[in-house]
Amino acid sequence: MLNNIIIDGLSFALPLLIIAIGGIYSERSGITNLALEGLLGFGAFCGGLFMAFFSSHFAAANVPVYLSLLIASIGGTIYAALFATLCIVFKANQVISGVVINILSVALTGFLTRQINQNFFNQPSDKFQIGVFPRTSIPVLKDIPVLGGFFNNFYLFEVIILILLAITWYLLYKTRFGMHLRACGDNPQSVDAAGIDVNKVRFKAVLISGALSGIGGMCFAYSISANFSPTIYMGAGFLAIAALIFGNWRIMPTFVACLIFGFARSAGNEIGKAMQLSSSFFDLTMTLPYVLTLLLLIFFSDTNRAPRALGEIYDKGKR
Amino acid sequence: MSEQNDYIIEFRNITKKFPGVIANNDISLGIRQGEIFALLGENGAGKSTLMSILFGMYEPDQGEIYLRGEKVKIKSPNQAAELSIGMVHQHFMLVENFTITENIVLGLEPEKKVFGFPVVDIKGTDQKIKDLSHKYGLDVNPTDLIEDINVSTRQRVEILKMLYREAEILIFDEPTAMLTPQEIEFLLNIIKNLQADGKTIILISHKLYEIKQVADRCAILRHGELIDILDVKTTSTQEMANLMVGKQLSLSLDKSESKPGDPVLEVENLTLDNELGVEIVHNVSFKIHAGEIFSLAGVSGNGQMEIADAIAGLINVKSGKISLNQKEITHATVKERIESGISYIPEDRQRFGLILEMPLAVNLALKSYYKEPFSQKHILQENVFLEYSDNLIKQFDIRSGQGSTTIVRSMSGGNQQKAIVAREIDLDSDLLIFVQPTRGLDIGAIQAVRKRMIDERDRGKAILLVSLELDEIMSCSDRIGVIYNGRIQTVAKADQITREEIGEAMMGVGNHGK
Repeated sequence: MLNNIIIDGLSFALPLLIIAIGGIYSERSGITNLALEGLLGFGAFCGGLFMAFFSSHFAAANVPVYLSLLIASIGGTIYAALFATLCIVFKANQVISGVVINILSVALTGFLTRQINQNFFNQPSDKFQIGVFPRTSIPVLKDIPVLGGFFNNFYLFEVIILILLAITWYLLYKTRFGMHLRACGDNPQSVDAAGIDVNKVRFKAVLISGALSGIGGMCFAYSISANFSPTIYMGAGFLAIAALIFGNWRIMPTFVACLIFGFARSAGNEIGKAMQLSSSFFDLTMTLPYVLTLLLLIFFSDTNRAPRALGEIYDKGKR
Repeated sequence: MSEQNDYIIEFRNITKKFPGVIANNDISLGIRQGEIFALLGENGAGKSTLMSILFGMYEPDQGEIYLRGEKVKIKSPNQAAELSIGMVHQHFMLVENFTITENIVLGLEPEKKVFGFPVVDIKGTDQKIKDLSHKYGLDVNPTDLIEDINVSTRQRVEILKMLYREAEILIFDEPTAMLTPQEIEFLLNIIKNLQADGKTIILISHKLYEIKQVADRCAILRHGELIDILDVKTTSTQEMANLMVGKQLSLSLDKSESKPGDPVLEVENLTLDNELGVEIVHNVSFKIHAGEIFSLAGVSGNGQMEIADAIAGLINVKSGKISLNQKEITHATVKERIESGISYIPEDRQRFGLILEMPLAVNLALKSYYKEPFSQKHILQENVFLEYSDNLIKQFDIRSGQGSTTIVRSMSGGNQQKAIVAREIDLDSDLLIFVQPTRGLDIGAIQAVRKRMIDERDRGKAILLVSLELDEIMSCSDRIGVIYNGRIQTVAKADQITREEIGEAMMGVGNHGK
């Protein structure tokens, strides 16, 4: 049972993490990003569409699951460009833009999935079959008591996410671009005075947030249902926002928050199973991560500090 | 025109118009290499506009700028920086959660390679910043976060930013507006160090004694016109003041002997914590009588602001007692205090005194809107607001673009302050608290506010004045209490204590064992 909690917990926590890092990039640059849910959904839709087309034309044996992550990431980026255009170029309210992007994504991907299924694959369905993502175990390490679960039967995308974690950490904290990005979220005027284009930096940050959310969405599609369907919109984007807030808008603490959420969820699942609850009560144990969110919110919201210029539209003329 | 060659900057016939105002009208002046050149003028005289043109923030409608003898068109602050012009703005441009070094290098970050990847080299730059800071006596610690340092240090970070970018011409926009007297001395010394190193300095100010202390030459602007360029050493401050204001201005106030009546405010053994829970005021007691101005003198951060806030009800009292007209108000709400007769002119007028996005008429009625005749049967009477506001505007000479309907944010600092003073005085309270009432105002407005304060005293009001400016304390008070480290060191009648004695008490000298 402990083994299962770790395996399922990780396969939930890591996609959540990559979406939360996407959120961190956007918010540290000063753009409130409630659009994560829509971004991950649209990314997963693009990846799912790619897989559906690919498997209908080629043998199912060599489905390019890794390529689907890339496609999902590109899809997320393109959709994020729409969000960035709304709230950076047209200076629309960021909260409203984010909500609009989410609603639009749910409606648009649902509609397109049905239409494409009907017109290209001749089957009335709101799902794209995307196949399974390979899992693996590390010999020897997987047999360690308790901790063995971390090396047992994990998805390979979890490794990719850990690599991305290292890259995004380096980019945000160690490079010029990362420094400019963090400065934009604190005092955009000072960035402007230093001769850096605030809106450009923010636009890039939102694009990165779309790319990462797209990957996270695709991973969820693989780990939860092996297909793309509207069930992808289960609130992971909002949970990612909660995680990055507990993580104080910093990558490593957010990693910890995501692990807590992941394990809370898998533990809730296992507890439900062990108690042999009927499905209506099963839902109750599945609320564990959300109850945890509420509790953590009470304890952490005092000490947390959002980026100072978060949500502030940058206007050169105004001082 | 023969001397044009020793000018590093020359403005020729600069004109800049904004809708409804001529900010600069045909201004021609030259600034010499290596001098400290002051621009003197009241708020709205056009000093900042002229400097903004030099710094590339505005383009002039007419006229030319010559830099080192060559005609230049400066289109952006970046271009100004490339021409080695640097500016310390009144509002600092710093990233709060970055270190001092990170702020200084922002935009010009040095890089090193770690395993072939470019990494911003902050640690390696700390020493360079330290050296630069040491060279000019700036005294900053490069690894401190901006959010942990005070205003004066922040300003020095801004100076370092310019020096790091190798600026040769340094513009200071009202640099001392936010500083304590000690910090001002410190800054003026830095400015002299910079001059000794060959930098050219332009100082925008309306504080005469600073100009007198450091500047070589001084241009006086009034209503967008260049009035005169003076040699500072051979000109008296009185002459400068007269030229700046355009009329004979008396720098001293006419003030009769006070005739104190019954005590209005009694503070007994007041002890207060600051927002971090540290005890900042210990056991302070004093009384203020009707018809007298009692002032608290002291260096910033010694508890005087907290005392004023506690009397106004903005912070909680830890122990002790506050009474107004023999009635205890220690734990009364702010509204109860206002209604029992306390007026409060806060230090930060934009945050605590006004609602900047609302019209003047609303701001003037902020403390009485819920009473008749402003509100009748819970409905606000717009015409009453306007009538009341028009009346105060006339009475207190508040100037604004559209009268009662002007959005307060668009008004000048001096007129915003006049609006607060008008509102608070019109409440007809027995006690008026003035905290730093003339901060950031020009001479004309300063005189107006101080005169109002004395008029109110003569009408029998009790007045608490908290100020960091010794001049203000000396010229307005009837009795002076000097505060140091949260304790009142000494209380004396204004005519029985000298500047020097106050200065010593402010620094805690002559304080035995306490």
